[in-house]
Amino acid sequence: MTEKNHFHSSGERAWCPGCGDFGILSSVENALMNLGKRPHEVLIVSGIGQAAKLPHYINTNGFDGLHGRALPAAFGAKAANHRLQVLVTSGDGDIYGEGGNHFIHAIRRNIDITLIVHNNQIYGLTKGQASPTSDLGMVTKTQPNGVSTIPFNSLAIAITLDAVFVARSFSREMEFTTQLIEEGVRTPGFSLIEILQPCVSFNTVNTYKWYSERVYKLDSPYDPADKLQAYKKSGEWGEKIPIGVLYKKPRRTFLDNQFKPKDLPLFQRKTVMKEIISLTNELFE
Amino acid sequence: MRYSEITIRFCGIAGDGVVSSGKIFAGACAKIGLHVMVNDIYSAEIRGLGKSSSTIRFSTSKLNSMGDGIDLLVGMAAKESIVDLHDIKQEGSVMYDTSTPGSVVEEDSLVAHITPEIHGYGIPIKQLANEASGTNQGKNLVAIGAICYFYSLPPDMFIEQIKAIFARKGERIVETNITAFRLGYDYFKEHYPLNNQFEISKGLKPKTLISGNEAIAQGAIDCGLKFFAGYPITPATKIMEIAAKELPKLEGWTLQMEDEIAAISAVLGAWFAGKRAMTATAGPGLSLMSEMINMSVMAEIPAIIVNVQRGGPSTGLPTKVEQGDLNIALYGGSGDSPRVVMAPCDSEECYNGIQLAFDIAEKYQTPVIFLSDLFLGQRIETVAIEPNIDRERCTRKRPTPEQLKNYLRYQITDDGVSPLIVPGESGAIYSITGLEHSVTGNPNYESDVHSMMTAKRFRKFESMVADLPQADIIGDEKAVIGLAGWGSTIGSILEGMEIARKRGVTSKLIKSIMIHPQREDLFQEFFASCKKIIVPEMNYQGQYADLLKSRYGIRPIEVHIPSVNPVSPLKIAQKIMEANDELSQ
Ligand SMILES: Cc1ncc(C[n+]2csc(CCOP(=O)(O)OP(=O)(O)O)c2C)c(N)n1
Repeated sequence: MTEKNHFHSSGERAWCPGCGDFGILSSVENALMNLGKRPHEVLIVSGIGQAAKLPHYINTNGFDGLHGRALPAAFGAKAANHRLQVLVTSGDGDIYGEGGNHFIHAIRRNIDITLIVHNNQIYGLTKGQASPTSDLGMVTKTQPNGVSTIPFNSLAIAITLDAVFVARSFSREMEFTTQLIEEGVRTPGFSLIEILQPCVSFNTVNTYKWYSERVYKLDSPYDPADKLQAYKKSGEWGEKIPIGVLYKKPRRTFLDNQFKPKDLPLFQRKTVMKEIISLTNELFE
Repeated sequence: MRYSEITIRFCGIAGDGVVSSGKIFAGACAKIGLHVMVNDIYSAEIRGLGKSSSTIRFSTSKLNSMGDGIDLLVGMAAKESIVDLHDIKQEGSVMYDTSTPGSVVEEDSLVAHITPEIHGYGIPIKQLANEASGTNQGKNLVAIGAICYFYSLPPDMFIEQIKAIFARKGERIVETNITAFRLGYDYFKEHYPLNNQFEISKGLKPKTLISGNEAIAQGAIDCGLKFFAGYPITPATKIMEIAAKELPKLEGWTLQMEDEIAAISAVLGAWFAGKRAMTATAGPGLSLMSEMINMSVMAEIPAIIVNVQRGGPSTGLPTKVEQGDLNIALYGGSGDSPRVVMAPCDSEECYNGIQLAFDIAEKYQTPVIFLSDLFLGQRIETVAIEPNIDRERCTRKRPTPEQLKNYLRYQITDDGVSPLIVPGESGAIYSITGLEHSVTGNPNYESDVHSMMTAKRFRKFESMVADLPQADIIGDEKAVIGLAGWGSTIGSILEGMEIARKRGVTSKLIKSIMIHPQREDLFQEFFASCKKIIVPEMNYQGQYADLLKSRYGIRPIEVHIPSVNPVSPLKIAQKIMEANDELSQ
């Protein structure tokens, strides 16, 4: 990338040196640039966490909301102005833990939002407690005897709920991640891109080395349109971890069900109301 | 007896058509041009289970409350109506069903409980309904026919009302119902002398019937609501139902979200992206929304949260009224968290008030918690609402082209309000956050910045005062007994004041839809002119009294009514009389 990226913002980043979040940020910037977007056309919504700081480090509109609540806020913004390109970037704890309910229902609703989950398998901001994706046995200060709760398989859930685009990447694979984000943004509907992201300070198990030794790219003849196969792939974790598009299947989006893309955004529509509706007779419906 | 105001209660169980009786009756009275107020009570959340009652008060002059007691009880179900006998006023009456032989002499029959002061009127309701329809259908219309004769109300209006309501169900149903009505009317005409006369003046115009919930929904839609996100909860669901039905016609949306947190989050998202949005809930939902309401405060994103108060903490009493959510509305946020709290007192204020709420939210970039209550939300009343349409008033402060060049989302200004653009407009971008932030919107935890920004957020509330409606002072200006109240209790207070006035004690009331902020100058002045101040409200703690005490340094007589029913005007009158006695001692 030789031309200046107008999404790139200078300034300090309160992330640890070597954090996987840096790679993800660059991938997001590059993807938006490659897609030909302009900063004012984009809105990045996040929750709270290290990952969720991203909107402050990129040159777009940002809504850095509450812990766990990025998705419904993003939904409201997209509904009010469907011309905004809305992305959500947040951590695994934020999206799958505190915001787990919203995650499920956002997929069902299928509004055109690209969800990027920085999955470091730990709570980074609060200094290293288990997250919903921590592997069994991980010892932390709040799980001194090791994690005994099975990990949340977000991809399997997204596939089960027919998310239109389900992908996984690894933050070190920046080019690859960029391409996946581009594809996710281009896919109409709700896309999930989970990015494995080493936490250099608090996750001593799932390190750069650990991930590098395990990830492999999905290639043909793998067919992301095959739901059963995708579901099976989503269960692959441990010795080998697949990255790439696990599942892709178009489906009517929230906006398809509401209005034509050429319509004025909700926020520009005028109020027209005839008169007070006399409700007297409606009482008997 | 001549009447200019009557209260009737239909009381029964599932299948008796109690609630529709109330509505048919109320509808006819509104058509005649009378003032009407209807309050339905269900014993369970699900209609059609257990006992239910519908109380209709109608009058030739404006009604403020449901009053005290009833003039006529219609016992559609005998056993269930027994307790309601206590509510009958002196010289009042009860109508009971004589269809089943022996029913009138049995011990648990209604008749057995009728005391000598109550006039009893028997009528074979079920039998006459069967005569008309071949089934029990139409029992309520037999009763309505009898009442129509009993108070010499114009039967034509009732027949018209029956036609209007049942037209959709076909000619035959209309006919059967009219027959049932006539049979009831004729039965009374034959068996009882005409003793009562309800005075109807000439030239009355038909009135609109509306509930508080309906008025809120309609008011919001009329002033530009385009996005409603909610989660069902008694007694607020009706607002979402209306939004769901009406907004799509106006190219807007209503979304049922996965929970209240999602609902308020989506509302913030929509306002952030530039559109007027609203949610409606009750206590449990408001509790869940606390954190996002605080985000609205911190990030200065407008939000409208309607809270229709029900009883108790936790799940509490879903079908009963209480005014217990004032504290959470005012103080339910962590940190120094200023928010606007409004409380309408009747359906007209629901309509006009919610429009004011939208304007304040938009202009001052703040959440507004709009506190209605179950009684106000569900009761139906005749209103004189002037539809206030074409109110897409953009009250937003916009940046000048100069300001846009180096756009500062949280620019410090004298009034605390920063110029605001809609994200997506070319020319500027910005980020917002629930973290403390500098003028640019970037997180910043420096002490100076926090002080400056907190002061800015509070300064908006000082500026707002100029836009607030006057507080209303009602009653005898020279009186030394003053009352202060809020929400639907206002109606009972007004009526209580009138009762006391008739007994020779005058008083005055200060009321404002604005709970916070308030026109403090007007309240100060009012309280300074009172020797006794009475603050009645429907909760145990005296939440409004606490606010007034700390704000104005007064020591009022507090009347705390942790209630499941609307406040009795007589009780208020009694308090006024007591205060007067103390003054004259
Ligand atoms: C309601 C609420 N509960 C708890 C917190 C504290 N908190 C902030 S971020 C976080 C977890 C972050 O983990 P994750 O989402 O995985 O992001 P990371 O920091 O690892 O990028 C927690 C528990 C909060 N801010 N708000």
